[in-house]
Amino acid sequence: MQTQVKSRERQAHDAPGTSDAVRLGVVSRAYLDRRGATVQALADVSLQAARGSVLAVVGPSGCGKTTLLELICGLQQPDSGMIECEPAVLMPQRDLLLPWLNAVDNAALALRIAGVSRAQARRRGASLFEELGLAGFERARPNELSGGMRQRVAFVRTLLSGKPVLCLDEPFGALDAITRQEMQEWLTGALVREPRTVVLVTHDVEEAIVLADRVVVLSPRPGRVVSELNVEEPRPRSRTDATVVALRERAMQTLAESRAA
Amino acid sequence: MRASSSVRRAALLVPRYGWSLLAACICAVVLGACGTKQDVVSAPGTKPFTVMLDWFPNADHASLYTAIAHGYFNSVGLDVRPIVPSESAEPLKLLAAGKVDMAISYEPQLLLARDQGLKVVSIGALVQRPLTSIIALPSAHVSKVADLAGKRVGTAGIAYQAAELRTALRAAGVNPASVTESNVGFNLVPAMLSGKVAATLGGYWNYEAIQLRQMHKNPVVIPIDRAGVPTYDELVLAVRSEEARTDGVDMRAFLQALTRGERQVRANPAAAAALIVKANPSAEAKLQLASIEATLPATLPSDHSKPYGWQEPSAWAAFGHWMFTQGLIHSDPNTAGLPPFTNEFLPGEGI
Amino acid sequence: MRRGFANVLPPLLLGLAFLGAWELYVDLQGVDPLLLPAPHSMFAEMWDNAGLLWSNFAITAKEVVFGLALALVGGFAMAVAIHMWTPMRRAVYPHTVGSQAIPIAVIAAPLCFWWGFGIFPKLVVIALICFSPVVVTTVDGLAAVDPDQLKLLRTLDASRWQAFRFGELPAALPAALSGARIALAVGVIGAFIAETSTPTTGPYAGLGREITSDLTALQTSRAYAATAVLFVFAIGCFYALTIAERKLSPWTNQSRGEIR
Repeated sequence: MQTQVKSRERQAHDAPGTSDAVRLGVVSRAYLDRRGATVQALADVSLQAARGSVLAVVGPSGCGKTTLLELICGLQQPDSGMIECEPAVLMPQRDLLLPWLNAVDNAALALRIAGVSRAQARRRGASLFEELGLAGFERARPNELSGGMRQRVAFVRTLLSGKPVLCLDEPFGALDAITRQEMQEWLTGALVREPRTVVLVTHDVEEAIVLADRVVVLSPRPGRVVSELNVEEPRPRSRTDATVVALRERAMQTLAESRAA
Repeated sequence: MRASSSVRRAALLVPRYGWSLLAACICAVVLGACGTKQDVVSAPGTKPFTVMLDWFPNADHASLYTAIAHGYFNSVGLDVRPIVPSESAEPLKLLAAGKVDMAISYEPQLLLARDQGLKVVSIGALVQRPLTSIIALPSAHVSKVADLAGKRVGTAGIAYQAAELRTALRAAGVNPASVTESNVGFNLVPAMLSGKVAATLGGYWNYEAIQLRQMHKNPVVIPIDRAGVPTYDELVLAVRSEEARTDGVDMRAFLQALTRGERQVRANPAAAAALIVKANPSAEAKLQLASIEATLPATLPSDHSKPYGWQEPSAWAAFGHWMFTQGLIHSDPNTAGLPPFTNEFLPGEGI
Repeated sequence: MRRGFANVLPPLLLGLAFLGAWELYVDLQGVDPLLLPAPHSMFAEMWDNAGLLWSNFAITAKEVVFGLALALVGGFAMAVAIHMWTPMRRAVYPHTVGSQAIPIAVIAAPLCFWWGFGIFPKLVVIALICFSPVVVTTVDGLAAVDPDQLKLLRTLDASRWQAFRFGELPAALPAALSGARIALAVGVIGAFIAETSTPTTGPYAGLGREITSDLTALQTSRAYAATAVLFVFAIGCFYALTIAERKLSPWTNQSRGEIR
């Protein structure tokens, strides 16, 4: 197995020569589970995401989606293969807002950590809140916010970390269907105002197609890329659009085939 | 919901700045606590001289407090500071450890301490007789020691007092085994009042007895030296043996000032009682005055040629021997080493 | 306001009922007032000796407050050390728990050795008593922090110290106060024991000394009056700490409202 392991440091400073912000080449990753058995999370996964685009990764549970994100963010190293990507930040599944800080302080956390003064961090956070339609919620505490609001604050936190690549791990998984749709619309709008390269992991195929420019379908464990779809529909998209529905069918079929395999 | 009021903003800011504020407060408190260590500065021309009392300030310390109040100690260059102990063994322990300059203790306690190797010596006696007494309430029907046969006697659990009780019983012809001894701690009077014990040993005839009389309880009081125990000095002034050797000047000065204080107490007992109450706000002026007056006859030696504070060598020898025969100490102080007391610093004595 | 009043009323009524029963018992049974005084004589003593009780109370209050503060500072620091460094936890934690069992009179003597006869050794005694519960609750509070939150902070490039400052410290402080609350009752008793096991200078040596000297002087009513003051003081401190805890951790007590 070829091993071109890159250190986290080097990953962070890697500016790929192409217009790709993220590039994985034949990456494999295995880990030891609780009982000490080897679990192959990903096998020979290759994918790339162009700068400023949204890449969605869909697959059944346990197909290594979270591992993929952690590899991109540098929290894990691949066993084999190559990863080249710009600095990435992970937005985990749970919002993990600190209960003792209010919303804007939570969002500005990365700035405070980087040494920005509290006042200035708040100002930057507040301006982003304003821009993304969260004005007025700056002083609210996390336990006063609904699930959707908390995810929005967590997203702003991710934005304010200043990294060009965002890895979102099932950001709307815990929300109800109505809120989820609201959040998808909100996210689309937010990315228009604050463009980033986004790698989005989700188990909801429809969501992937509504949000992303490219959709990569992973097989069940060990995760392999079984299909890639380009979504060229202009945004905002609705789940009832004909193209969306068609793409969804194709993706679902590929998933079913890969499961049967 | 729009967050707009500045009050709310301020309230939510407090936890933020509150961390630093809290840290500052706690630091201030801790530093303040450290700074409460006592460091009283002596008057010019005097040096500090700490005296640890045997108990709370009471009538027995009248001469000491009077001498302090009238500046007698200051005029001989001593800034005397009384310290109240937390238990009766503490004065000698802290004296031997060098933490206080003088300890007021009891002759039996001093002999015990010396037996354990503490290098302390008595340089004067505050009282010439034991104050320890057997006390009983009329309801117990005890008018003499012999009446204690078959009854229960309460003590404070002090070993030599148990020996005193046994000696008193034997002197009255009572088998000590027939008397049950109960440890009632320092609750001697409540133990008698509740009827738990018929009599107690350990109360003072110049304190508890007077207290009970003032409460119209008419107790029977038998001082221990009238019950067959050899006489001893209840309260003595102890210093480290080494200081007795090297600091004779201070010892002499102290006793000189104390003697003046004693004379002043005789002249004005009421003023002395007021001083005790000032030093011990829990004390009752009426009781303290009665106690001072009752104690005065016992503070001067029967031999009028001898000064205040005199320690009678024959009495010390007899009592030391008694403690030895009772098994309270390992060696007879008369035969082993230097004497446990010295009169050389008393006014008119010594070199 | 009304809610505060409603909270105070039940314990107040219960207390009054207790006092009433006590008064009746003493009057009907004819108990010797030197053994068990009646409440009315206790209150009379409080009135007559207000100055004395206040002076002694001030000293005991100072000891308890400063002693608790010392315990909070020391216990907090120890808990952080135990939390952050495993060798510390293994070596020191059992000792801090065991330290609670040490009888005070045993340690009071050497303390006076080092720090003399003022208020400081008494503070240290109280601090030692209250130390262990503070350590235990603070360690628990730190351990209860969601590890994923700390991981998140690390992904935001926080150093270990920054992760502690933002992610663990704010949880630890209310936990420490909770420990202090638990330790308080024992701390007040500790003040009593500290006062009665250490020498003192000056005429006022705290309520503990007051109580013992009053008992030996057969001033039983006054001893009970002093005890009542201690009792009320302990309750007051307890609630003061509860309020402080609530102020420092407002996020735990707010009712969950929904903001969409």
